[in-house]
Amino acid sequence: MATGLSYREKSLYASLTAELLVYGPYFFLHRQNSLNKVAGMIVAIIVLQIILQSVIAAFTRNRVTDERDRLIELRGYRAGYLTLVSLMVLGLGMLWFHVAVGHLPLDSRMVGLHFLSVFFGMLVLADITKTATQIVAYRKAL
Amino acid sequence: MPAIRNQIRELRATREMTQQELADRVGVTRQTVIAIEQDKYSPSLETAFKVALVLGVPLERCFQYDPHGKR
Repeated sequence: MATGLSYREKSLYASLTAELLVYGPYFFLHRQNSLNKVAGMIVAIIVLQIILQSVIAAFTRNRVTDERDRLIELRGYRAGYLTLVSLMVLGLGMLWFHVAVGHLPLDSRMVGLHFLSVFFGMLVLADITKTATQIVAYRKAL
Repeated sequence: MPAIRNQIRELRATREMTQQELADRVGVTRQTVIAIEQDKYSPSLETAFKVALVLGVPLERCFQYDPHGKR
């Protein structure tokens, strides 16, 4: 049976598309990260989200959300939170290891930028996990 | 078999009511009505009462609980 896509579901697909379009090139194509690139990426994702969500809102007549939408949203946030916590523990463990064995000189000028990029990457992965979990929940009916 | 089953599809059909009409009157999305009818989503007590009210039947005529069913 064709169930169609609800407003929330369309919105999630748009979010995931925007996230992959903006974050993908940043993490996989750019080798030299900088504060300007991070700032540019944040601006790009905001602008892209505004455009995509406006288009979806304009072309969707029924924008009702209900208890199932809220439940799916909570499931997504739980998955995102668990991802972020797991990555943080893993990241801090790796940081401790590299510092302990002397691979990472903490006085290096690039350390701050490196940390920023890694922790930003964790946030991005958690956000993508959240959105993807919500999409899967919608496709499975819950 | 699911723990909570329902007869919404049959009740709706006898009243010639579409999924969208039921969804609008209950205040949920059509996708939620579809998920309930397919026994993939168990609604809240409030929504279950609203569905029964809109269909004009007692709650137990709409929804049945099977203690041996899968949750």
